[in-house]
Amino acid sequence: MTKPLAGLKVLEFAWSVAGPVVGRALADYGATVVRVESGKRPDVTRLMGPFPDGKIDKDRSALFEDYNLGKLCIALDMGNPAAREVIKDLVAWADVVSESFSPGQMERWGLGYEALKAINPGIILLSNSLLGQHGPLSKIAGYGNLGAALASVHSTVGQAGSPPVGPFGSYTDYTAPRFGLFSVLAALDHRDQTGEGAWIDLGQSETAFQFFAPLFAEQAATGRTTTPQGNRSPEMAPHGVFRAAGQDSWVAIAARDDADWTRLAAEIGGPLTDPRLSHLAGRKAAEDEIEAAIGAWTQAQPAEQVEARLQQRRVPAHVVAGSAEMASDPQLAHLGYFIEVERLSGGKTTVEASRFMLSETPFDPAEVAPPPLIGSDSRTIMCDFLGYDDRRIDDLVAQAAIC
Amino acid sequence: MTSSSDRQAGFLAGYRVLDLTDARGLLAGQMFARMGADVIQVEPPQGSAARRTGPFADDAAAPDNSLFWSAYAAGKRGVTIDLAQPAGREQLARLAASADFLIESSDPGFPAGAIDLEALRRANPALITVSVTAFGEDGPKADWAATDLTLWAAGGALFPARDGPSPPLSPCLPQAWIHAAADAACGAMMAHFARKRTGRGQHVSVTAVTSSAMATLAYILHEPVGHPAFLDSLGTGPRARKQTLDLSGSGSRSRRNKWRLDDGYLEMNLAMGPAAGHFTNKLMQWMREDGALSPEFHDWDWVSLPARIMAEEIEGPQIERLRTEVAAFLAGKTKAEMLAQAVAKKLLLAPVMTVAEVMEQPHFRDRDNFQTVSEGGRQRMIVGSFAKNIPSVRLGGAPGLGAHNAEILGARPPIEEVA
Repeated sequence: MTKPLAGLKVLEFAWSVAGPVVGRALADYGATVVRVESGKRPDVTRLMGPFPDGKIDKDRSALFEDYNLGKLCIALDMGNPAAREVIKDLVAWADVVSESFSPGQMERWGLGYEALKAINPGIILLSNSLLGQHGPLSKIAGYGNLGAALASVHSTVGQAGSPPVGPFGSYTDYTAPRFGLFSVLAALDHRDQTGEGAWIDLGQSETAFQFFAPLFAEQAATGRTTTPQGNRSPEMAPHGVFRAAGQDSWVAIAARDDADWTRLAAEIGGPLTDPRLSHLAGRKAAEDEIEAAIGAWTQAQPAEQVEARLQQRRVPAHVVAGSAEMASDPQLAHLGYFIEVERLSGGKTTVEASRFMLSETPFDPAEVAPPPLIGSDSRTIMCDFLGYDDRRIDDLVAQAAIC
Repeated sequence: MTSSSDRQAGFLAGYRVLDLTDARGLLAGQMFARMGADVIQVEPPQGSAARRTGPFADDAAAPDNSLFWSAYAAGKRGVTIDLAQPAGREQLARLAASADFLIESSDPGFPAGAIDLEALRRANPALITVSVTAFGEDGPKADWAATDLTLWAAGGALFPARDGPSPPLSPCLPQAWIHAAADAACGAMMAHFARKRTGRGQHVSVTAVTSSAMATLAYILHEPVGHPAFLDSLGTGPRARKQTLDLSGSGSRSRRNKWRLDDGYLEMNLAMGPAAGHFTNKLMQWMREDGALSPEFHDWDWVSLPARIMAEEIEGPQIERLRTEVAAFLAGKTKAEMLAQAVAKKLLLAPVMTVAEVMEQPHFRDRDNFQTVSEGGRQRMIVGSFAKNIPSVRLGGAPGLGAHNAEILGARPPIEEVA
């Protein structure tokens, strides 16, 4: 069956995470995605890893491979005027342009939305930035960890009364691509009906508001500002992460309701079977003691055993999975979540599958291109997509526009 | 007709979405509503479990006080359908016959098996159905008991979020299901593009576990690709070295990127290497101008610093001394001052804002990120559109229980129409 996005042409200047994740999803479902990268300034994710054997190698970063599977790459030096002429031809070729430069940079290159529209009236431009294209703080540079700090995400993770810890990594890089992808697909659908293009201004930080919207509603309605309470929940007790036997081994356990609690208490026994704990209010009042008792029980046994014993009793519990646990997880194997793909620099690498599973037009890793190296498709793109002849391509190389 | 939203605007005006999710999927339908689709929230007669999900307001009693509901049901019309009754199943079938999308999350408020997606697609072959599940619709863990926290743990997002030896920490607003809901909307649109070719719908499945894995920066690939102790090398694992060769610019560490200010905290990684080392040079320049940097650090070029560290010209204790100077420099500064300097000096840092501070920040207000809506006569604040500069719908307040039964389901009992 034809892929959902077969024939869709995407030009991607985006780098790091939030923009490339959108391009990866489009490529997964049949779009032709051309990445523009420069040997002078490789994508930051090429330097981050993980890497095979832990050796830093810009051609073997699993992070880069994960977010760039299925794309082609042309190496262009954006600072070179001759390169920008190639860009303009690619704009004419494309349906969608995705960029994540600092706001204003595309205009400085003569590649702002109005200029792109003059070349290609139906173009859809996705501009991904930290704080949006306009506004007093739009010039702030940064990655998703800063976006998350500015969006108050960091203030939601920590121990009660302690400095904020924040979630792992660059949280707005996780929220933004969902809205970037959805907006692009909606804009494409609109264009199919009207011929109109669009300039989508996606501020990463603002996308995080969507994921924490109830906290803003709470602030407005009650004046209460959220502060973290470790892993505790106002609506459940216990609701925590407990140390298990072995090094750095943890298990997450929660009782959704009193029935869960009764089964949990029956498994652990001892003081937890106290009838005063059979209701949430009683458990909230004794949460320290409950957590201590559960912790004493969990740390004497492997996390997997805790998980199995509680799941046997239908109590929510799961090993706090790291890479090794996920790689051997039977459910993720069942879903086919980790997939091996070819690596252009040799051998195979592992990436994540698509996060949505379509029954009739599924993502098929066998049908997508390997993650590109810098410029691995420069000649093919200029020859096959833009119709340049060898002489013109050689000229561009001589002018160092292609590098 | 209701004016629960102005559905003329928006790229997806003209599409109808049936939203049968509870707290585990509400955002998906709302994403469609933002783009102008007509989204009908279908609840069991006793109301969605999301109406009993916190945080809660003080100005109303349960079940009218859920701010979770206010936040994520805004922009939708609401009907109640009793799927335990044949008449209710008929009502759902009739709605599905004219719908473009149906999203569900196995709400336990609906009787098991009452939502027969295959039958609905047989009756309306163009219908796209989307299921949001914990672990997947089948497989060894499909029936496992789960909460958002245990799914966040299973998806790898929890493990590296920590401060030294303390347990891994999760956000105080649970996130796993919200990630899944956002993916559900994207998956639905992907299936829509297949439908544009064939006229046929299909089924889309997303899981909270794999959607949570988006929040890992792909560290979860370190075992499959063979990068031993990868998290330790980032500085976030239990045996993390203090100084690491983090070339990312963003830094993946959490607590170590937090610096105390006079009125809160600053998020900042002392970035080094070709990607972002020049930002740290600018900070050092500022410190030098203020006489806050010892001479021993004046000639450090943070772009090329990794090579000097690898050559052991620069070692851990020196970096720690430098960090002490940075900490002393920052301790007297305020969040507002650092934000202004981040803009003026193009520094790679940001204050750790609270929810209250975000809502007062002129930048975010100017960009229309917060709007007040009326929900049953009470004022509620919802966040604005996720993307700017495109047509977007100003959402109405979340619907009351069965608020649109008459206009959507009709005044007459549907069983009579069938007869």
